[in-house]
Amino acid sequence: MNDGLKGSKLVLIGIGMLFSGLLFAAENAREPFDDRYCTTCHGTDGKGNEGVQAPRLAGLEDWYLQRQLENFRSEIRGVHPQDTEGLAMQPMAAKLSDASIVDILQWVGSWDYVPAEVTIEGDASAGRQLYDACVSCHGANGEGNEALGAPALAGQNDWYLVTQLKNFLAGYRGKLSQDTFGQQMATMVRTLGDEQGIINVVSYINNLSGGK
Amino acid sequence: MAGFVTRREFLNLLGATGGTAAALKAGTALGLLPNGAAAASLDLLNPGSNGRQVAILGSGISGLTAAYELGKVGYDCTVLEASHRAGGRIFTVRHGDLIDEIGNRQYCEFDDEPHMYFNAGAARIPSTHRNLLGYCKKLGVELEVFVGENNNAYLQDDALMGGKPIRSNDYKTNVRGFLSEMLAKSMSMEEMNQPFTESEAEHILGMLRSFGDLSEDDLYRGSFRNGYASGGFLRHSVQKDMIAFRDLLKGSVGREALAGFEGDYGPMLMQPLGGMDKIIAGYTRVLGNKVKYRTIVTGVQVKDDGVDVAYDQDGVRHSLNADYCFNCIPTHLMVGIEHNFPNDYVKAMKYVRRGEAYKAAFQAKQRFWEKDDIYGGISWMNNRSRQVWYPFHGIHKAKGVVLGAYDYGGGMYHTLMPQKDRIEAHLRDGEKIHPNYRSLVEKPITIAWHRMNHMLGCSASWSRNFRQGWTHEEESMYDTLRAPVNGRHYFIGDQISMHSAWQESAIMSAQWALGNFDKRVRSEAL
Repeated sequence: MNDGLKGSKLVLIGIGMLFSGLLFAAENAREPFDDRYCTTCHGTDGKGNEGVQAPRLAGLEDWYLQRQLENFRSEIRGVHPQDTEGLAMQPMAAKLSDASIVDILQWVGSWDYVPAEVTIEGDASAGRQLYDACVSCHGANGEGNEALGAPALAGQNDWYLVTQLKNFLAGYRGKLSQDTFGQQMATMVRTLGDEQGIINVVSYINNLSGGK
Repeated sequence: MAGFVTRREFLNLLGATGGTAAALKAGTALGLLPNGAAAASLDLLNPGSNGRQVAILGSGISGLTAAYELGKVGYDCTVLEASHRAGGRIFTVRHGDLIDEIGNRQYCEFDDEPHMYFNAGAARIPSTHRNLLGYCKKLGVELEVFVGENNNAYLQDDALMGGKPIRSNDYKTNVRGFLSEMLAKSMSMEEMNQPFTESEAEHILGMLRSFGDLSEDDLYRGSFRNGYASGGFLRHSVQKDMIAFRDLLKGSVGREALAGFEGDYGPMLMQPLGGMDKIIAGYTRVLGNKVKYRTIVTGVQVKDDGVDVAYDQDGVRHSLNADYCFNCIPTHLMVGIEHNFPNDYVKAMKYVRRGEAYKAAFQAKQRFWEKDDIYGGISWMNNRSRQVWYPFHGIHKAKGVVLGAYDYGGGMYHTLMPQKDRIEAHLRDGEKIHPNYRSLVEKPITIAWHRMNHMLGCSASWSRNFRQGWTHEEESMYDTLRAPVNGRHYFIGDQISMHSAWQESAIMSAQWALGNFDKRVRSEAL
């Protein structure tokens, strides 16, 4: 099977510099391709696409995005049979080279952060109580904390946060021993109790500014 | 023999006597033929010298149809296509072609010969799809007959005949014989005669004898319709043994063969000579550089006097300010593109589900099916690969391209597998019909439409409940999405039809939008 990235007959032109161009296949004038396909699912400038349940990438911390891409690639994330969205993402990352990941981080970094549209309604004041458990890692404004490996939550698609919290709670994410941060999250998510708790806390997160 | 039902009880179970009267009545309503055989003819108003700009988003067949029709009368059309190729799900794969599945890019390694192609998306044209056929004619696309039903193709079901593949003919002939005999016998019962006059009953018996190849005494004793056990040419033909009806009731794959070649799938079907994308090539030949490839739409803003479209090309954002916009981008992708559509429109866009259909093909080192009396057509299997299609293009040539899997329903089963597991699954499934399959095929390709770049789905589905059909709410959302925004933006494609997955539906959707648009333009011109 051909693999556009690993094939020895491919010439790579200036990683990260001229990467907005395509990888050119040197032989047979075959149709070239690159790994900048994120927006097909994740929407214009990575704004997120509820239509295919692909979350906002714009504004995501590069260290968090890198960790997740690497987790997907090495099957630490997106392998549980009940994790529908993770299963959709995993093969998209499976063949990414380190160079491609670097390029994607740069590309995603070039997009403007725009807070996602609010789509869910819960009891935000009940959510505020629940959020107390989240503050120490994710910050009072949902701004995240790189030192603790906790991503920003403010401005993320609320439907995505709900799905992920449900996945953590059900053990579809954060169960594998290599997933250090995911395991921490899987423990913490129990403080939310159930689906209603999840909806409430995400409704509260919808009000957070992210400190920006 | 507890638990068995007699033939009489079986017929009562079917509600034969009560049901027949109802069917008779219903039948009287069927006197009407569908209206005329001509394709819809569009008579669009020439926009004159004010050179109206039209943005066509996506080069699926609906977008190309819109561009073709509008261009013909003088509109200035630009077709923006995100992919490197036109045609969307009309995709013929040949030597060297890129299959742009995200996470599983493949290049096709079939031999570089005209007959070595695979229609990975649309693959058959029913003779009743008159609008599509009309464009084939206009665009000079040569057609040939396509065979779906082939009585010599196989049915394979682990539960049927111990898993041994049987010829479609053997199944159908025997099932028809036994069913006819059962009904013919009951025709003599007084209560069965009741709803019919004597002459009607006589006709029915005649039909049954003919349908099931019954003998004079209305018994099924086997048939020559499924070929000969031996002889037939220089020696007297010897009839094949009957297969016991009870044996035919095992397994369910045979039902597919009874129903699978009817309606849109039944004869006559056609395919373009050399690949389904010859239709697309017909359009793009006319449209020339109006189709812009690798242009990714990033924004659609509908205004009172036009539509502003933003798109990326070579990493640079461009804008196209058009008077009108016809959009065949899949709705589930359009949700993720910047837009200013009204809320009810967006709600409908989010509602439509994307299809999961999946296909795979192999290059066959030899046309092994022809040595087995199979020339074209489809074998059915009761496994996840479901079908094997034998090409009849390239008959008697050295090699051919065989379809190794077509999962038109739950395609996610294979989609979720890595490439090598997909291929192994199809080899294992195909081996059940053709014992040396594994050694006879090579150079596999797989098409998981759910993951194809810039599409992410096969045909759209509106109804959440296949059995119950569309709800009123679904119909109302469909009407919302079909109606133009501000009279400027139209969604088109088979996604905006009630019969998705067909080129005809995509074309008719475009024609409907063009007709609606033209009416508005004419009223404004007054």
